[in-house]
Amino acid sequence: MGSNIALKEDDIKGVKMAAKISIPVLRIDAREKAGGWTHYIADYEFDNLQHGRFLRSERARAKIIEIRKPDFPEGYYYIDASDIPPGGKNNIQMIKDDWRVFADGDVRYIGETIALILGPEKQIVLDLLNQIEVVYEDLVPSFTFQDALSCKGGAIHGTDNIFAEFLLNIGDVDNAFPGAVRVVEGVYETGFQEHLYMETQGIVATWEDEKITLYASSQCPFYIRKSVAGTLGVPLGDIRVKQAATGGAFGGKEHFPDVIATPLAVAVNKIKKPVAMIFDRIEDISFTCKRHPGRISIKTGLDRDNNIVAMEIDTLVNGGAYESSTPIVLQRAIIHGLGVYRIPNARIHGRAVATNTFPSDAYRGFGAPQGLFAIEMHMSHIADEIGMPVSQFKRKHFIKTGDITITNAKMHDDVKLPGMLAKIEEMSDYSEKVKKYEDDPLRGIGLSFVNHGGGFTGNGEQAVIKGVVKMKRLEDGKAGLYVSVVEMGQGLQTALRKIASKELELDYLDIVYDNPDTDIVPDSGPTCASRSTMVVGFLVQECAKKLKIKWDEGVGAEAEHVYTHPEEFVWEQETLQGDAYPSYGWGVNVVEVELDPFTYEVKTTGVWAVWDVGVTIDETIMQGQSSGGVIQALGYASIEKCELKNGAFMQRTMADYTIPTSLDFPEVHTVFIDNPYKYGPSGAKGAGELVFDAAPPAYAEAVQNAIGKRIYEIPVTPEMIMEALR
Amino acid sequence: MVDSYRPKDLKDALRIRGEYGSTPLAGGTDLMVRYQSWAGTLPLFTNSVMFVGHLHELKYIKKIENSLEVGGTATLSMVADHPDTPRVLRDAVLSIAAPALRNNATLTGNICNASPAGDSVCALYALDALIRLEKNGSSRELPVVEFITGPGRTLLGKDELVTAITIPLKNSSIDNFTKVGTRRANALSKLSFTGIADYKNGRIDSIALTFGAVGPTVVRSVELEKKLLGLSRAELKAGKESILSDYSTVIVPIDDQRSTAVYRKKVALNLLDKFINEVADYE
Repeated sequence: MGSNIALKEDDIKGVKMAAKISIPVLRIDAREKAGGWTHYIADYEFDNLQHGRFLRSERARAKIIEIRKPDFPEGYYYIDASDIPPGGKNNIQMIKDDWRVFADGDVRYIGETIALILGPEKQIVLDLLNQIEVVYEDLVPSFTFQDALSCKGGAIHGTDNIFAEFLLNIGDVDNAFPGAVRVVEGVYETGFQEHLYMETQGIVATWEDEKITLYASSQCPFYIRKSVAGTLGVPLGDIRVKQAATGGAFGGKEHFPDVIATPLAVAVNKIKKPVAMIFDRIEDISFTCKRHPGRISIKTGLDRDNNIVAMEIDTLVNGGAYESSTPIVLQRAIIHGLGVYRIPNARIHGRAVATNTFPSDAYRGFGAPQGLFAIEMHMSHIADEIGMPVSQFKRKHFIKTGDITITNAKMHDDVKLPGMLAKIEEMSDYSEKVKKYEDDPLRGIGLSFVNHGGGFTGNGEQAVIKGVVKMKRLEDGKAGLYVSVVEMGQGLQTALRKIASKELELDYLDIVYDNPDTDIVPDSGPTCASRSTMVVGFLVQECAKKLKIKWDEGVGAEAEHVYTHPEEFVWEQETLQGDAYPSYGWGVNVVEVELDPFTYEVKTTGVWAVWDVGVTIDETIMQGQSSGGVIQALGYASIEKCELKNGAFMQRTMADYTIPTSLDFPEVHTVFIDNPYKYGPSGAKGAGELVFDAAPPAYAEAVQNAIGKRIYEIPVTPEMIMEALR
Repeated sequence: MVDSYRPKDLKDALRIRGEYGSTPLAGGTDLMVRYQSWAGTLPLFTNSVMFVGHLHELKYIKKIENSLEVGGTATLSMVADHPDTPRVLRDAVLSIAAPALRNNATLTGNICNASPAGDSVCALYALDALIRLEKNGSSRELPVVEFITGPGRTLLGKDELVTAITIPLKNSSIDNFTKVGTRRANALSKLSFTGIADYKNGRIDSIALTFGAVGPTVVRSVELEKKLLGLSRAELKAGKESILSDYSTVIVPIDDQRSTAVYRKKVALNLLDKFINEVADYE
């Protein structure tokens, strides 16, 4: 265990990455960040900087009748759709381009950008903004799944409000259900979740060397380049994006920075001066994307021996007013819909709906946490119904190597769940405690199993991303690493240096790896989907091998490596059939709780986690990922309530949208098992999202066992527990 | 932009307050949040501001005979650290925000903010705290329950300053402060409860029961408390249901972004129930 190893720089200087890459090193960014020296986007200084603020929609769904503006003093600007240059488009080029840069004629959610007000003095910008009056004609808004499916107020998207609809099927569900002797059903719901990333959204767009250059707190500099070039109608190379130091972003800076970058670029294109847009925290919580709320209905048939013979799942996710990445989130939710279980006959119907809520987008797990919460609670409810211990019932259905998955492919992974279960039993004393707490009205313990596919779904890495990395021999025995994936608190700058230095037999500190600049680094894809270490890290490893061969050519020797899809993994995108992911991370969590009978508050008294992430690139970094991911997920499962009132989020401050402090949850006892993956660097698999997936159902099950009532919904608030006990 | 003043001493502060009615700002931990604007612009004060946090004459806390006197600019940390601070007040103060904020925030500020969810206020209601108000040439003292008249509203005169809070020190045998927050630390209250009680010759001699964040102000009913005076342990136990039913008429919370009315009421009554049991079982 590496959690308590204190490292000094002297201890690790000159340590070559030996065979065991997992041995922790001092994180390259630790000192600067802990010391407060790192400059984030709000700390940057520019000459002649202009400050921007959005004019936002105050209505969830309305026509804009008129916008009454005061006279703008010299040097102050009102930028809207009419400022997009000829050849450009009032659309943001994300996965889809339906999201508008500026609302034009109508508004579709509260907070939608109508215009950008900017100028040199913030107070004057604010005063101008306050004097603008937007005259609306209200339309009937639609917020809930029910509203969306009934097209309340008329369809927002297409003719039926369905952004995406998929059907997955294995075996023969219709013929299998009649053979069931028992049917169990449940509807499982998950809420919005706010990212509350380290620093708020922020971008500065500038005019440098006759070129629009953006400095951005971001996960995906090349996404910003693509969206800005699309909006302005210019070649990609005309836009430059430099990533600013970015703290934990959790998916919140995957696409949303495009929503800020595009209007800023329209402004800079017009005025040729630098413009900053740095959100205040309340603005950020109120007007940025959240995790997709989910409603998942599951119906399961069991035979006489309590084997599952058939399962039917209906999955709904709320995409909000624009599509963005919603179909891909839905794909992940349904592909993870059966969890870690082998179900012979299963059908999953998934739909993503449009509503007049703030568009939902990427958040650590990307749909999987919703799907996994539902299946884990459902398996728990079935076990309860048939009177079998949960661990036994789940174990009985564990998927094994070679079994068929929901996308009709073979499970390629060496599935080590039984051993992981044995390990967590030993760590947590789970089964003993289940018995002990059976008649205890205040204590409970929960157990969950998950897997999480690493990298883009299906053939996305090959068909869409086509990642490239470059390396170069520099002066003084150093090597330059050129990739577009970013450090965002997850330790990537350290991990990729370790991977490269291992092959080059260099000190990891001799690898030069700066924050990406789209004019310098190749596009190795976005920082998301648990792909940075597994996919890009493997490219780095292979590229370093190539550079090693050319090393003796001297300073300037270069190597490049391009992603190639391993031939054994086959995928058909049209039908979503085949190997959805080349490998999965696997996890088991146990959570133990105690209920306060007077306040219904839940105290978490123990948390254990066993993970299979292939091989850890750095044990300490991965301990950090486990602790952070599990605690963030426990917040999602317990206190992170995010409610809508007439289309606006009710919790808008850090006082009202609370995330866990170190007093809310105890230490996460974590163990990693070894299970190398052949296309991962040193055997590493995806890990960043996996560590989020397991805690919510374990927590909900623990509370369920404490109170003796089934739980179908997260967050499990004290208010909900009180209602359940009434 | 508004004018701001930095008086050199209390006398100067009272003069400025009398002349301009400036808003006194001590720690600023409530006011700077309430009037915040876009980062990098001035806060949205509409009245002139007088900084008072530096006034050393008021930055004290001391025991005077049977009372604890908290100076007008004493911080929450000073209150928490003083050995004579009653336990319910210490617990309440320590449940507020985080140490860095408590080092700046003042007890006076928490009172004058007059939020029904003000944690120290719930305890001060139960402790019969008195608020000393001074203006140029005169002073008066009001019980905190009279001083606070509604959410954000007090009887502080336009020309007055709070110069001290006096807390009578009683040796109460049984006391409890419970805060139910949105999380375990650095949280705002969903509701809070303070109970203080004592026996004399086997009968209840004093009792105070207060509830925070369940009405427009902290809730305390002296009338209902009077019904409990003189009860024996057995009588208290026997009368518990009727006490709870009495209190359910004065606890009238609302739904908001932190909790629900139903939860607040139920938990407030649960905490009262628990406290009555503690009192009845006290040996």
